[in-house]
Amino acid sequence: MPQTIESTDTRQRESIDVPWVTIVLNDPVNLMSYVAWVFRSYFGYAAAEAERLMLQVHLTGQAVVATGGREEMERHVEAMHDFGLWATLGKADA
Amino acid sequence: MRGFERHQDGSISAKIDRDEALLLQSLASQLATLLQSPDDGDPAVIRLLPDAYPDDADASAEFRRFTQDGLVERKLHNATLVTTTLSAAVDSGELSLNPGETLAWMKALTDIRLTLASRLGIEREDDRSADIVLQDLYDWLGFVQNSLVEVLDS
Repeated sequence: MPQTIESTDTRQRESIDVPWVTIVLNDPVNLMSYVAWVFRSYFGYAAAEAERLMLQVHLTGQAVVATGGREEMERHVEAMHDFGLWATLGKADA
Repeated sequence: MRGFERHQDGSISAKIDRDEALLLQSLASQLATLLQSPDDGDPAVIRLLPDAYPDDADASAEFRRFTQDGLVERKLHNATLVTTTLSAAVDSGELSLNPGETLAWMKALTDIRLTLASRLGIEREDDRSADIVLQDLYDWLGFVQNSLVEVLDS
């Protein structure tokens, strides 16, 4: 079935080409100071960048905090859930 | 309880009243009970263990299969560390935390606040519960957590 093979190939190529992202969403509970601290201590962002991302989450509802392969992004999302942050995965082009 | 202080060996400490220590122990043990048999339909559980793929139920279920047991185990461990570190503080009035315990406290306090917010129906940042006692408790937990962040930043 050539069509199936072709569509599988396309999907695999997409999953390699288009990176995944870790998205942190705003929630009404977590303190701004805590969210910025998580971004610094887990991702290693400098204070100014952590503050900028935290404010983006707070003011716009969400921010992309990491970009890369799917497995790596899944590890980040799991880590965010460990910290109690609301995080999801998405495709970078979505 | 006033704020935490940082010491040269990397540990932190805070004075804590007996009532406050017992209250925090009770909250940590309630969190542990919730996590020991997580009910997938409980809004608090859904917030503690949210879907990783908002538009893909299958991928979210798969993610859950691989991560949930470990996440629950670590959250339970954090809650247990809060309880055990408070045991000495109940009588001494002095809470002392090493860096590992501090991290566990940070995460467990977050989980306790998320659970309490879910029970209080706090869905927006300016929502206030009609239950004044629980609202005060929620605000106080926020103060304790902010004090932890501040002492780690100092």
